[in-house]
Amino acid sequence: MLFAQILVNGVMLGGLYGLMALGMALVWGVLNIVNLAHGAFVMLGGYCVYFLFTGLHLDPFAALPIAMVVMFVVGYLLQRYLLNLIIRSSHLNTLLITFGLDVVLTYLAQLAFSADFRAINPTYAGSNVTLLGVTIPLVRFGAFLTALVLAAALWVMLERTRLGHSIRATSQNLIAARLYGVDPAQLYAVTFGLGAALAGAAGGLYGMVSQVTPYIGATLTAKSFVITIMGGLDNPFGIILGGLFIGIAEALAAIYIGPTFTDAISFGLLVLILVARPARSLRGA
Amino acid sequence: MKGRVALLGLCAVLLALLPLTGDDVLIQYGIDALLFATLAQAWNIIGGFAGYASFGNSSFYGLGTYGTAIAMAQLHLPFWVGLCLGAFLAVVCAVLIGLPILRLRGHYFAIATLGLSATLSAIIANLDISGRNIGLILPLTRNDTMFYELALVLLVAATGTVAWIARSRFGMGLIAIRENEDAAQVMGVNTTLYKVTALVLSAFFTALAGGIHAYWITFIDPASAFDLTLNVRMVIMAMFGGPGTVLGPVIGSFILTFVYQLLASSISTAAALLFGIVIVLAVIFMPRGLWDLAGGLRRLGPRYFLQNIRAHRL
Repeated sequence: MLFAQILVNGVMLGGLYGLMALGMALVWGVLNIVNLAHGAFVMLGGYCVYFLFTGLHLDPFAALPIAMVVMFVVGYLLQRYLLNLIIRSSHLNTLLITFGLDVVLTYLAQLAFSADFRAINPTYAGSNVTLLGVTIPLVRFGAFLTALVLAAALWVMLERTRLGHSIRATSQNLIAARLYGVDPAQLYAVTFGLGAALAGAAGGLYGMVSQVTPYIGATLTAKSFVITIMGGLDNPFGIILGGLFIGIAEALAAIYIGPTFTDAISFGLLVLILVARPARSLRGA
Repeated sequence: MKGRVALLGLCAVLLALLPLTGDDVLIQYGIDALLFATLAQAWNIIGGFAGYASFGNSSFYGLGTYGTAIAMAQLHLPFWVGLCLGAFLAVVCAVLIGLPILRLRGHYFAIATLGLSATLSAIIANLDISGRNIGLILPLTRNDTMFYELALVLLVAATGTVAWIARSRFGMGLIAIRENEDAAQVMGVNTTLYKVTALVLSAFFTALAGGIHAYWITFIDPASAFDLTLNVRMVIMAMFGGPGTVLGPVIGSFILTFVYQLLASSISTAAALLFGIVIVLAVIFMPRGLWDLAGGLRRLGPRYFLQNIRAHRL
């Protein structure tokens, strides 16, 4: 029974991880930017939902779409007026500038919101359902479902809409997409905004199942990174699967090996995958 | 060329005389700056010349730190034995890790090396000989002048090595790998050997800097020894100064350390914020570092900045 409970906990957390990585994978796949500020976007989304919840007494799940819109605008503006300036620079430079952004956002958040731990605690935060002896906290289950719904929505958007088609076309061949009338400056900004919006949603959910501080960004970026590599850049459901995998591996490692090993497990797995299957990993490089 | 070397020698001698001022705070800043410059210079070998963005250098730093600490605190051996042990561990690690990981390119190499320090730190945190999570305390030595001169010697040695690399066949091979690895291989460069050698050299100097820092600071724990932000700082300093040049990383790290200390002492909370802004602006306006900026400004004047943006924007 303990094993089943751990598995469920891992799956719930993994869905959230997957959602978080989805935004990074989208930006990476289309813009070829590994956004080191992604975790900072997650953090900002968390604060957004927190203040909507405490200030306007909105239900946190209802506040998610607002946080997503806010983060979309932030991401759009950053890409349009800052990152588009260096997009053709070497990959190390894009890493560096997003790292700089991460530092700026982290310390702006510290100045504006202080370093206090903030948790989003709606009235139903403590409630849970027990199914076959396994306890499922409602908030975590809601977060898990939201992650699945957003992943599905992203998939439908990419497959079925005109915007999705132009995003996929651009990621495959920028010049050809341009010839068919795509404005890359605009499209890049929209894509980056979408990535930030997904990060914002993940941040709101993260604030409900854990706590938000200005400094959560770095480890969340690293996790998104690992999941993106595992899941591949081409399929949102692959990313969700990667998230589930990491969530379960961490939950198991925390119980059976020791909590200090959770980060080492995900990174160790990553190195193994990269080294053992370089051909698959190298395809996107 | 001769004049340049003489000028640099003069700078080194002047730096070596700095402890004569007797200003303790200045000497401590000096040790910090010299060690950071060494780290940036060591990163320059693998990142600047070979073009492999290593985030594993903080692991080599951690191994150097722990090698020295274990030798001194647990085995009661002298300092120099500890330094050798740390460097040895780092070099072995560089060879073992380098062979599989240097096959990866671009982002993937960066990420795989990123995983390395997280993994090593977890292992160290669970070993008895390394003091587990609590860390180790080294014997106390109050002799900042010695640490200063040691750090200076190490920086000069690292810079000398890079100067040799820049003029040697080995360095040409590394640059060829950076520019086009497949072409380099076709031209007869033994890419595996060259890349692993570059990583080993980088690891060697990084570990020595870690060992000196450990003995100077006298207390180490896994979190500070395998700190990834340290690796990021190495990259930033090398990139800021000019990756793939001999003096760029040194100058870049001196300037950035100075700016950071200045900010930290005047407006402590906003220092990190401004540091981030400096990085963002530097990437936009001088993506190839200070070294390139100096030449570019002489050639083009202020148009240099516009040209950079024009070359890299969408």
